[in-house]
Amino acid sequence: MGMIESNENGITILAIDGNLDAEGTQLMEEKVVGLLEGGETSLLFDFSGLDYINSSGLRVLVLAYQRLKKTSGKVAICGIKDYIQEVFEVSGYDKIFPLYTTKEDAVSAM
Amino acid sequence: MSDNIISFRMTNKENCFQCFRPKVEAFGEEHGLPKKVIFHLTLVLDELVTNIIDYGYADFDEHPIDVAINLDEEIITIRLEDDSEPFNILEAPEPDLEAPLEERDHLGGMGIHLVKNMVDGIAYAREDNKNVLLLTKKFNKNCCSDDE
Repeated sequence: MGMIESNENGITILAIDGNLDAEGTQLMEEKVVGLLEGGETSLLFDFSGLDYINSSGLRVLVLAYQRLKKTSGKVAICGIKDYIQEVFEVSGYDKIFPLYTTKEDAVSAM
Repeated sequence: MSDNIISFRMTNKENCFQCFRPKVEAFGEEHGLPKKVIFHLTLVLDELVTNIIDYGYADFDEHPIDVAINLDEEIITIRLEDDSEPFNILEAPEPDLEAPLEERDHLGGMGIHLVKNMVDGIAYAREDNKNVLLLTKKFNKNCCSDDE
């Protein structure tokens, strides 16, 4: 799993490449918890390079959502592949997380 | 075309995902399964095996987990056998997908929910102190776009 952090218009973007298997998910969770504890309020997950996610990966996204909701923060996801979007649909999370096709769309909408 | 079945044994002490994923992908590619179907098979096994390892054992011993995947035309059958505590996936509670996410304290059950939605048939039996799970998945070789 590769993870690149960047910032655009005050939004922290985490671009995740490869697999959110148990190991990748743990790394992402540590990163997300660190950002939230540092006071981050806008988080965009760029999943255009993401090939795999499971329920543990979804749980980290929910954790970010729950914490940011309390502080009126924002969380969104962009660039998700079709077969991964299906996981969001089956879990019902497609109705909870704003999903954008491109990073540019997400940044301008957030 | 090579054999339409693969079977292998893992144990709860291994990194099972890294063990089965290359096998499932190689099997899928060899038989021309759509990428989406290979993803479903991988996710289903990942969720089930993680569940077994995280919740299934009352001791710290090494336990076998046996997997067999069979392809018959456009039906895939997965057989998963383990000697963990009895767990009938068919009786597992469903997550409450209607409750607002910020109010959900308990996020469990999503893995099992994904499994149930990614296969077409589930049969469970407890045999010789083992959980035996038979999953079937139908697919259409020509229907799925493989652009991703």
